[in-house]
Amino acid sequence: MNGQGDPLCRHCWIPLGSRPISRPIGGEERAFCCYGCCIAFQVKHGQSEEWEAAWLLIRLGVGGFLSMNIMLFSLLLYAGAFTGGDARVLPWVQLLLWIFATPAVAILGGPYLREALIDARRGCLTSSTLIAVGVGAAYGYSAVAVLERSPHVYFDTATMVLMLFTLGRYLEAAGRAKAARNLEPLLAAENAWANTVVAGTEIRRPVREVDAGMLVRVRPGERIVVDGVVVEGESHTDEAVMTGESRKITKAVGSPVIAGSINLDGPLLIRSNGPGPTTRWAQICRSVRETLGRRSPVQRVADHLVGAFVPLVLALGILTVLYWAQELAFDRALLVGLSVLVVACPCAVGLAAPLATSIGIGRLARWGCLVRDPGALEVLARTQRLAFDKTGTLTSGTTQVVAIESAGAAREEVLARAAGLERYSEHALAGAITKAAASLGVEPVLTHDVRVIAGRGIRGRADEQVVAAGSAALMRELIWTLPQALASRAQSLERSGYAVVYVGWGREVRAILALDDAPDPDARSTVEQLGRRGLRVMLLTGDLEQAAQRLAGAVGITDIQAGLSPEAKREVLGRHRSEVVAMVGDGLNDGPVLAAADVGIAVGSGTDLARETAALVLPPGGLWMLPFVIDMARSVRKTILGNLIWAFGYNLVALILAVFGLLQPVLAAAVMAGSSLLVVANSLRLERLPDPARVPMAAQPLSAPRDVAGPVGVGTVTAAG
Amino acid sequence: MVYYAVLFAAGFAGSFHCVGMCGGFACALGRDSRGHAASLLRHLLYNTGRLTTYCFLGALAGTLGQVICTPRGSTLSVLGGSLDAAQRILAILAGLMMIAVALQFFGVLRRFHHTRASFGLAMFAGSLRSLLAAPGRAAPLAFGVFNGFLPCPLVYAFAAEAAGGANALQGVLVMVTFGLGTFPAMLLMGSIGRLLAPTWRQRGVWLAGSLILLLGLITLGRGILPLTGHMAHGLSAGYPA
Repeated sequence: MNGQGDPLCRHCWIPLGSRPISRPIGGEERAFCCYGCCIAFQVKHGQSEEWEAAWLLIRLGVGGFLSMNIMLFSLLLYAGAFTGGDARVLPWVQLLLWIFATPAVAILGGPYLREALIDARRGCLTSSTLIAVGVGAAYGYSAVAVLERSPHVYFDTATMVLMLFTLGRYLEAAGRAKAARNLEPLLAAENAWANTVVAGTEIRRPVREVDAGMLVRVRPGERIVVDGVVVEGESHTDEAVMTGESRKITKAVGSPVIAGSINLDGPLLIRSNGPGPTTRWAQICRSVRETLGRRSPVQRVADHLVGAFVPLVLALGILTVLYWAQELAFDRALLVGLSVLVVACPCAVGLAAPLATSIGIGRLARWGCLVRDPGALEVLARTQRLAFDKTGTLTSGTTQVVAIESAGAAREEVLARAAGLERYSEHALAGAITKAAASLGVEPVLTHDVRVIAGRGIRGRADEQVVAAGSAALMRELIWTLPQALASRAQSLERSGYAVVYVGWGREVRAILALDDAPDPDARSTVEQLGRRGLRVMLLTGDLEQAAQRLAGAVGITDIQAGLSPEAKREVLGRHRSEVVAMVGDGLNDGPVLAAADVGIAVGSGTDLARETAALVLPPGGLWMLPFVIDMARSVRKTILGNLIWAFGYNLVALILAVFGLLQPVLAAAVMAGSSLLVVANSLRLERLPDPARVPMAAQPLSAPRDVAGPVGVGTVTAAG
Repeated sequence: MVYYAVLFAAGFAGSFHCVGMCGGFACALGRDSRGHAASLLRHLLYNTGRLTTYCFLGALAGTLGQVICTPRGSTLSVLGGSLDAAQRILAILAGLMMIAVALQFFGVLRRFHHTRASFGLAMFAGSLRSLLAAPGRAAPLAFGVFNGFLPCPLVYAFAAEAAGGANALQGVLVMVTFGLGTFPAMLLMGSIGRLLAPTWRQRGVWLAGSLILLLGLITLGRGILPLTGHMAHGLSAGYPA
């Protein structure tokens, strides 16, 4: 299969396949995967003034009128209404049926015949060929029968088979469009239009022509199509498509907005940040389109089977007619053959995998989870082991004060003084310290003469004393005394991977603060839920052993491998080749490792999607969705297998019945339409899989008792002054 | 003949119920600019399309009933050899269905077609309007055909009655009579082009409900009462054998 993937059907967003139908609708050439989608799209999007859409419905309606009349009289014939004294009218009724059937077959069968001819010219046989051959035979035989005044005609069979197939295709396409509903906001990016404002006038242009600095007006209820900044207006937006979280976000002048979000209640004028096609929304759109265009391995196998199936069935149909013609009248044998052709149409098989996959992808997309390879869902469903990276994946990526070790001073006083200094600093650790003070309700001590000493820390004066916070080097420069107990504690903390800040006043180091990357608040519950799903979870990290141990203890992972280089991580994955292994990382530093796993999952990747190596991308802070993603992948796989078993099994059983002459052609057509509908209905059940539920386990710094596997206790006084 | 007269009357009265939906369509179909004759033809075509669908449904229902109740033949008999029992069960089911529809008309039962097949049908119904504006003779016919398939408790009731008769021809006749009964009101809608006063519509609905209830009770009676088979047939003198 080509890497770029097939173009998608305009109606159901399923790959067009090798024989698309193309129609000009609304002044634009549109491609559809099948006749049903072509009808359904026109029914849905055709405006009343659009002749094409109405014409199609008229054809169906008139075809229905004719075939219902045929069926009506045929039913009466079968029911014995024209027997006995009424037998004289029989030839006239047959003639009437012929008159009705000729336009009906032309109107309803035209599209199938055209498809069959196009396919034949390309040298291939498809289900349309089967229908055209079967229906043509039934019609031709009946016409001869009327002329020869033989008692049996089968115009009803010919027209009803066509009618049922057309109806089945229409309903199937309607169901497929329903499946594609979740994908629509994502796929809308490519054909989106922007109302640009140039010198006071609005010009509507495709979003791909929008460039940086252009002004775009977005009315309430419309989708914002560019990344940019609000320059006029106030409103709320919903960024669910991009972040997975549906909530109102207030936007005013100066607020950044992202493409793909919906403007809820006020008009906004937005200055675009960059060209339209570079937004993440547009990138996601391209990615989703490529994914849908690719065939998953299961589907490829199914398609090959179908390809081999059709010529076989055609041969089988002919053989069946020849066989039965020796035992039955020729017309009966012909009907048996028609049943064989009709019942073998492998429509449902071709639908089995793409439909379920696209529903799965759409459901995940609604939560901001991006599937970049349709095969990934299938592999993920079989995954037995999940390997996690540490930083930015299981940790939140923000630093927190996790321990205060003091030599006598109360931790509130330590924090008050440290925060009094640090609130003047912009250092990453400074923010964590002021936040810790705020979370304990400690008021920072008023500090003046504050000076930042680059690379070492910060110092100032409070209560007529010099106060300083920073590295050991700063304390040495100040020549402040450092209690032995604190010194050794600080060394051991630093060895285990903590960042350590020394705090002192009155010419003496009074305390040390240990800071660490906090575990993601959802990590523990996520790991627990994954375990409940029978997955083995392991931690692969380049960090120090102790830091890894600590985090693993906090989130509940027992299988840890620390101090690994990226190559070593890949080796570890290689050692687990006997299992299906998924690797979860942040997508920033571990790209090659993600690519080496059977499935790579990136959490909150900020990198360019085009260079992303993970097959599955979760939104930032979306670790908690992982169990849902696994559930969805498993359900999709189950649905695909169910669909295939159903479609093949059903076809096979019906085919056997048909070969033995136990299935009427009309019944066979109904059965086949039913088969497609069942596949659609079975796939739509994926819509009912419960939405992901977040189990919050907020880890609060300092105040909450922490389950940290390490020697650090909060506020423990370990040294005397 | 009394039987068919009641059917016709029920169709006529019931069509006042349909005026809300189908009448709206008939009005929207409008008049032809080429004069009265062309307008009439337009509306006749629309109604013919509708009638065809009804007849088809009637034939289908009648044949289904006949197949179920025929012990021998090409198709297998669902209920074995007991012709009488099968016909009775069918009559009971049809009767119950009609009574349920009648009660719904009176507002006693909640409408049970709320869970309509959303599967493409709603989309289809909405887009049918595109046909109303389309030129040509075929559009009103096609529109009528589709219109006949739109979910309608009245049609369900008479389709049930058609099935209860267990005869294809009778099924067609039931639906033809019912369909013809709806003709006057629908043609009137098309030509007058305005809706009837609500009070009259309400009266029509009640009358239809009463007639359907009557038909339902008779059909149910045919199934339940041991000796009423003759009574029912007495009323419906026009039954074909």
